[in-house]
Amino acid sequence: MKPRKDLITIESLSDEDIHTILDSAVAMKEIFTKSVKKVPALKGKSVLTLFYEPSTRTRSSFEVAAHRLSADVTTFTLSTSSVVKGESVHDTIDTLMSMKMDYIIVRHKNSGIPAVIARHCNASVINAGDGAHAHPSQAFLDAFTIREKYGEIAGRRVVIVGDILHSRVARSTSLILRRLGAQVAFMGPGSLVPPGEHTGVARLHTWEEVFTWAPDVIYLLRVQNERIESPFFPAADYHQTFGVTEERLRRIEAQGMSIMHPGPVNRGVELCDAAMEYEHCLVCNQVENGIAARMSILYHLTPGTLSHD
Amino acid sequence: MTDTYITHATWAPGGHQIDLCLAPAAESLDTIVLIEGIPLPNIKKACPSGAMEIPEHAHVIDASGKLLMPALYDLHTHIEMPGRSKRECIIRAGEAAIRGGVWGMLVLPSPAFRFDNGASLDSFRETASVRSAAEMTPAGCISLGMQGLEQAPYNTLAATRGVHVLSDGDDFPADILMLYRAMQYAGELELVFAVRADVPALTKHTYVHPSATAYKLGLHPCPPCAEEIGTETLIRLAEATGAHLHLQLVSTAESVRIIRHAKERGVKVTAEVALQHLLFTHEKIGDYNTVFKTVPPLRDKADCEALLEGVKDGTIDCIVSAHTPCTPFSKKQDFITAPVGMTGLDTFLPALYTHLVEPGLLTWWDLVRACCLNPEGIACPRDQEEGVPSTAPLLLFDPQVSHVVTEESLVCGALNTPFLGQELHGAVTLPLR
Amino acid sequence: MPTLNSTDISTALEQWADVIAARADAESLGLVGLISHGDVLARRLIAALEKRQVQARYGALDITLYRDDLDLRKERPALRSSYLPFSTDGMHLILVDDVLQSGRTARAALETIFEYGRPARVELHCLVDRKHRELPIQADYAAFTLESAEKVRVHLQENDGEDAVIY
Repeated sequence: MKPRKDLITIESLSDEDIHTILDSAVAMKEIFTKSVKKVPALKGKSVLTLFYEPSTRTRSSFEVAAHRLSADVTTFTLSTSSVVKGESVHDTIDTLMSMKMDYIIVRHKNSGIPAVIARHCNASVINAGDGAHAHPSQAFLDAFTIREKYGEIAGRRVVIVGDILHSRVARSTSLILRRLGAQVAFMGPGSLVPPGEHTGVARLHTWEEVFTWAPDVIYLLRVQNERIESPFFPAADYHQTFGVTEERLRRIEAQGMSIMHPGPVNRGVELCDAAMEYEHCLVCNQVENGIAARMSILYHLTPGTLSHD
Repeated sequence: MTDTYITHATWAPGGHQIDLCLAPAAESLDTIVLIEGIPLPNIKKACPSGAMEIPEHAHVIDASGKLLMPALYDLHTHIEMPGRSKRECIIRAGEAAIRGGVWGMLVLPSPAFRFDNGASLDSFRETASVRSAAEMTPAGCISLGMQGLEQAPYNTLAATRGVHVLSDGDDFPADILMLYRAMQYAGELELVFAVRADVPALTKHTYVHPSATAYKLGLHPCPPCAEEIGTETLIRLAEATGAHLHLQLVSTAESVRIIRHAKERGVKVTAEVALQHLLFTHEKIGDYNTVFKTVPPLRDKADCEALLEGVKDGTIDCIVSAHTPCTPFSKKQDFITAPVGMTGLDTFLPALYTHLVEPGLLTWWDLVRACCLNPEGIACPRDQEEGVPSTAPLLLFDPQVSHVVTEESLVCGALNTPFLGQELHGAVTLPLR
Repeated sequence: MPTLNSTDISTALEQWADVIAARADAESLGLVGLISHGDVLARRLIAALEKRQVQARYGALDITLYRDDLDLRKERPALRSSYLPFSTDGMHLILVDDVLQSGRTARAALETIFEYGRPARVELHCLVDRKHRELPIQADYAAFTLESAEKVRVHLQENDGEDAVIY
């Protein structure tokens, strides 16, 4: 893989890069079977997690990944005060760079912030989710999970269900799966699925259409009501109309489809309780694979703080 | 004082060669020559090339190969730059305007230039008359503090401070009842209401046109219907109150159709389009290029074409620069945080020429109408009696010269121009003396 | 260019297997090849040992993550999966590599192998020993010693389509 400083979007990666990161993730996962679950690859490197948006899962996943590569991890807690005071991201980064960080893992509610930070500093910047723009590490763990389950991604059918409009997961995951040869469709309420000519992805309208299309994987997005100021759809309708109900779960079981979800799951909204127990529910695999995928990403980036001259 | 003669100039609106004799500044307002119905000051005589008798020691400018036309008037400029003094803002905008062939501009109110009271207008006019190379006309506020809630003292602004146009910057008044009453009241004062059509509730926290760009970048889309509903609403208000409505920054094809119908009905409405909305589409944003963050957002190709058609058929009266200088740092921020707008004064006439006239999309006559006569007529209305001249000076434009826009070539104090690093054609000579 | 051909190599492997068979504690022998040539050699040795009625477990190690030169490279090499499907506790392990030179790979391999458990004994075997050591590490067995060679390239049928050592 060609030396690359940052990972901001899936789009910016070549097919070769995508394959390399996925292949190395397999080797990374193998580390978890050792009695010492750690390798010295990033010994002495400093990793900073900079989350402007609360997230326990992604943040701890990155932290575990960094620890397993022997990096030192610093968690920067942004007191709401400095954000309220209106400190610009540039000034925050200048402060952080004087602490000599090699990797910065950033999440922000504004689409495009990680790219701004990446331009501004020589640390490797990893986008851990920016607004509705991109979430590349999630895309890698999803692709990894599907590949692990089915051996090959090409030719598989994946339907992503829910709030596509606000979802960086839908954008990044649909992109990596399409790049790897899968067929992707979106399904969700009209107000939350942008038109096909904008997304390049076909839209299915109902569960009936989903079952007819017969996907291998049903990928449910989290209903992010906390991020939506004014409702795009009547919340009371969601489970019955777009969620995996018990009745739909039976059909999913009958067709042997897998269920995925980026977490955290709203039980009774996207998924009924029984769906979490379903044998082809890959939610826990996704979490474990998330660590391996993020180790692979950290490993393959080359921070500008390492001098090669 | 000897007269100045210009010979072999091509009169841009007509395309024929003329010679003319400029009058000394002192005599300017008394000496008028009509060229193709355009009343102009500053000219003693004009005639077809070669017919002019030129005294032996006269000062002669040979304008062979160059175009002669009235200088431009820009009906939409913001001159405030955060962190800069008002004086510097005025000086820089004035210099930039002259570079771009603009002799006069309507300055829209902003937090630093709060034109909702006599004092701030007086102090602005005083500084501008001394410091600015170009004529600056302030637009009075529609509402106090541009809050959209309470009317500004229109009579004071109009009667004693010569304000003709009212505007709350680019904001749509929060209280439509306030606007309705303002239009009833100030409509009688012959004031023009310059408003950007919008439904703020529909466009809050939106950044780009609904498009593949919006999806790809994960930016919330700004629905065109917000502008169109706003356009309808404003036109109804103008119809009901009889006030002169000037629609700012029209950006969608449907808005053009709505305005066309309103004009056919005889509604007192004029409209402007920003050069950026004629030239660029949302694709320009690429990977979050904040230079192309504008309000309204850059739209589709079909909208650009409809807007251009609107300019040609007169539905859209004016092309404006929508000059908005932003500090380089502010535009380096992320797309959502970065301020909106681009600069346009420095490059106005060369950009219009390079991208619209030279490729044949507009004629020189279209340009003179949309960038000289109409905007000046809206901002500085003259008595309708025949013969009262425009105050526009003339400029010479050399289409043979090209230059690359560089940081050094920009005098407006900001770098947020879409033309940075690009070659533009044409060099402006203004003023002529 | 002088070359060792496939006959030379297979003869050497037979001798090598004899040496291992003589030393081995058959109960707990493991051959761990270092990816990407040592693993091939390890497989062949295990097959040769089987003919001698000696059972050995097979393992493969990718030692990339333990290299001491990761930061000196502009790009990080792709990873291969290590394969060690048994507990190494109390085992007699033989690390198998194609070429031993500086000793840095062997050092990384030693570090790697100890993170899988506590073997009773670890040996280092290689096909070619080039000397030029930079670390205090020696081979317990080397099939060939090519001290004066400028550069040694090992080709194996499984990876490169032919068996040869070019130097």
